[in-house]
Amino acid sequence: MSILATKDTHVVIQGGPAGVNAARRMAEFCYLIKRPINVSAFVYPPDAGKTNEIIYGTDLITIPVYKSIAEATSNHPEINTSLVYIGADRAYAGAKEALDDPRIQVVSMITEGVPEKDAKLLGKHARKLGKIFNGPSSIGVISAGECRLGVIGGSFDNLVACKLYRPGSFGVITKSGGLSNEIIWICSQFADGITTAIGIGGDAYPGTDYVSYLEMFEKDPQTKAVVIVGEMGGDLEERAAEWFAAAKRRIKLLAVVSGFCQEALPKGMKFGHAGAKEGLKGEGSARAKAEALKKAGAIVPETFGALGPAIKRVYEELLERGEVRPIPEVSPSELPRLPKTVEQSMKEGEVLVTPLIKTTISDDRGDEPLYCGYPASELINKGYDIPHVIGLLWDKRLLSKQEAEIIKRIIILSADHGPCVSGALATIIAACAGIGMSQAVAAGLIMIGPRFGGAVTDAGRWFKHAVDNRMSVDEFLSFMKKNVGPVPGIGHRVKSVRNPDTRVKELVKYVKSLGIPTPHLDFALEVEKVTSAKKENLILNVDGTMAAVLVDLGFPVESLNGFFILARTIGLIGHWTDQKRQGSRLIRLYDYLVNYAVPKRREVPPLQ
Amino acid sequence: MAKVLEGHGMGLLRKWGLHTPNYVVVSSTEEFEQLARANEWLQVGRLVVKAHEALGSRFKLGLVKVGLTLEEAKAAVKDMLGKQVEALTIRQLIVSEMVEHQDEYYAAVKSTRDGADILVANCGGIEVEANWDRVKKLAVEVGDSPSDGALLSLVKDAGFSEHTAGRMAEFLKKLYACFDNEDAQYLEINPVVQRADGELVALDAVTLLDADAKFRHPDWNFPFAAEFGRPYTKNELEVMEVDSKVKGSVKLIEIPGGTVALLPAGGGASVFYADAVVARGGKLANYAEYSGDPPDWAVEVLTEKVCSLPGIKHIIVGGAIANFTDVKKTFGGIINAFRKAKAEGKLEGVKIWVRRGGPNEKEGLAAMRALRDEGFDIEVFDRYTPLTDIVDMALATS
Repeated sequence: MSILATKDTHVVIQGGPAGVNAARRMAEFCYLIKRPINVSAFVYPPDAGKTNEIIYGTDLITIPVYKSIAEATSNHPEINTSLVYIGADRAYAGAKEALDDPRIQVVSMITEGVPEKDAKLLGKHARKLGKIFNGPSSIGVISAGECRLGVIGGSFDNLVACKLYRPGSFGVITKSGGLSNEIIWICSQFADGITTAIGIGGDAYPGTDYVSYLEMFEKDPQTKAVVIVGEMGGDLEERAAEWFAAAKRRIKLLAVVSGFCQEALPKGMKFGHAGAKEGLKGEGSARAKAEALKKAGAIVPETFGALGPAIKRVYEELLERGEVRPIPEVSPSELPRLPKTVEQSMKEGEVLVTPLIKTTISDDRGDEPLYCGYPASELINKGYDIPHVIGLLWDKRLLSKQEAEIIKRIIILSADHGPCVSGALATIIAACAGIGMSQAVAAGLIMIGPRFGGAVTDAGRWFKHAVDNRMSVDEFLSFMKKNVGPVPGIGHRVKSVRNPDTRVKELVKYVKSLGIPTPHLDFALEVEKVTSAKKENLILNVDGTMAAVLVDLGFPVESLNGFFILARTIGLIGHWTDQKRQGSRLIRLYDYLVNYAVPKRREVPPLQ
Repeated sequence: MAKVLEGHGMGLLRKWGLHTPNYVVVSSTEEFEQLARANEWLQVGRLVVKAHEALGSRFKLGLVKVGLTLEEAKAAVKDMLGKQVEALTIRQLIVSEMVEHQDEYYAAVKSTRDGADILVANCGGIEVEANWDRVKKLAVEVGDSPSDGALLSLVKDAGFSEHTAGRMAEFLKKLYACFDNEDAQYLEINPVVQRADGELVALDAVTLLDADAKFRHPDWNFPFAAEFGRPYTKNELEVMEVDSKVKGSVKLIEIPGGTVALLPAGGGASVFYADAVVARGGKLANYAEYSGDPPDWAVEVLTEKVCSLPGIKHIIVGGAIANFTDVKKTFGGIINAFRKAKAEGKLEGVKIWVRRGGPNEKEGLAAMRALRDEGFDIEVFDRYTPLTDIVDMALATS
């Protein structure tokens, strides 16, 4: 047996993420005691109509979210309890809605910082209806082996350590959430554990106080003794003492009270709990409370540390008198264990998982990304530049200063080529159509291919093929004519021998000035000599020059188009931003720019 | 409960139709000069000048002057502004008119479990404290209002004569309306006095409001005052600032002269730690607490302040078995601050005592234990050591 939260408790949780988290903890407890999950529904208007998925063992349980309590209880008529996880400014309305539902008998409020007046009104309303309003700022209620409301009891390991899977003989009532767990632990270490533990919340005027719960414990035959943790302020402990002394009680009462330090501290000091404050005239001091409880016949240890041994003595007396029997210990192997996550199991070396993908360049598992093993921040601090990052991520090596300078120049030279080229035009049309940056830039990037900017890889591939196979220029050109077609990297739409491309000239001049071996560039220039003699515009273009130089630097052929894509992205972002800044409007092609080679208007024949 | 300074409290009383003396709150002599020219009452009547700060025993400190002419009041303003009382500088004064009167009365409304008690006595000032039996009480349930008949019989029971009883009943009705609508927890008017025209006037107000209700009182545009007779320190204010921003809570109150610093988790457990220190004859250097799974950086800020307390010999990193506060994460914040403090030489000769349980306790406690290798003087205990035993051990060593 137990009180307040039992095997027959079915819960609706009012609130969002905090409520979902509580439901997970409650599901863990249900799993431990081998009972179905006791949360039937959520009420959270922003998510109404959706569901929350709660892990139960290895299953995922789908729990619906409703707009109102009435909707929840009519769909789940078993609901008799509500947990309130709503913000302090709306908690009153939420709890009132739950109390007013005829099916709900218990409302427990976890919300902290609820105005005192609201809590009093809810308490009064509940009493009038003959229901229980527990809280505010209650950690929850747990009945060993039966029911958990809220996160009280802590982690799964703690539930097991505190033997919460089966009832003991001690009831617990505390204001503090942390101490409820501590007392549950003490009861499991020094005695046979708990029946029910209730957090009533640390506010000055909890909706339901010690006396109401002491009365319920008194009527619960399984509970033989009750431990309460009091603190200075208010008169709840005095009222408990009064109740205990008023008649012969079946249960034993143990109590500790905090706040003796107040005698040595500045008056009016505020502790962690709102209710933990002596009255203006010194009433409600820890000493007065401890004295009242002692006088009423309660066992009141001098310190918190003495509580465990005091509980032990009570338990031993109960054993001696035959009021309780020793509970045979359950071996941990008989208890359900929380399934491990894949991560936990891997950490403990229990499972082998075949990786889905493999990376050889980048690692984000630490506190910062590593590029081929080098921390990004260290690269910054030691003066490395963007070309070095390209070297690491595209070719897995640290470039020299010289190599980095070449790459920097390549990027600068190919960053943009005006608004008329395919890529920029596509981006500009997209920008004018109101398309966002990533899509508009992607529209420009899509244009990069065999006829625009995408010849770098192919040029590199064939120059490399020629050099690797020690072809002569003539051999190469006839090979290309036979097997491939026009030589990628050779030829320009507007530039020619008489109108040379300055970018190519400058790049070639710089690379040659370094005195490094450039077999592919040399070969490409030889090819140009032959082709441009045949036709003026068959010059080595930017793609071909970049390709030859990058192959000379040792970059893999597959990566070469990346240099143009990367560089031109700078320009495309510029064009998009430029149009955006101008507030450009939708554009369309003028019809005089189209050759309408179409049939004249004619009549549509009847459909056959 | 949050205390409100007299001027702001008077403002709330006026809002609900109670009479108070005319008053102005001033922060400079120039401001007072200007106000004196603008307000006739400052020129003709006798005046009272009081420090408008969170201070107890203002009379004894010479921070209340009564029966002054305007010229005398100006001198008092000049004299009191800028005065230093321990760490506090007097920055504001309240200057009010002196109300000539014969009799003094007492009226209060006090929060109770079921609602509120309305208290009234036909004596006031210090007289009421010596004659507490003359205070009569009417309990009002939350959600109800006192009836005119009940109030009238209350004041008659308190011995008010026929011609003031009606006025006092009316006064109490308004006082209760103020209490109820302003989410007050305590309102005390002592004394209430009767002006020559018969009107009852609130001469002084103690106002405690429910800080949790601030969200529904947009006109509470005043700060709450510290409740223990001194203003908050810089460190306390900084921790309050963090507290207001985060999920969960962090709290700090400094107590000068102590040697045992507290850094425990939990609103409930922390008080047992404070009790244990006092019970063993130790001197507390502070009260602190973190709870509700606050972010690690908030705990780190709190720890930095605790490590900076002057003259400490022990730091008690205590705590019960947490329900949902992540021990590993919160300890991470504490450890960061410990390392910083040690690097700054602040933990010289300080011994750290740890006891804790809860989610990820093994990892959290192991991280604390590992601090020994870094040269910290630290003792670490788990859930099998009772809650406050670390205090016993700490104080046994010194």
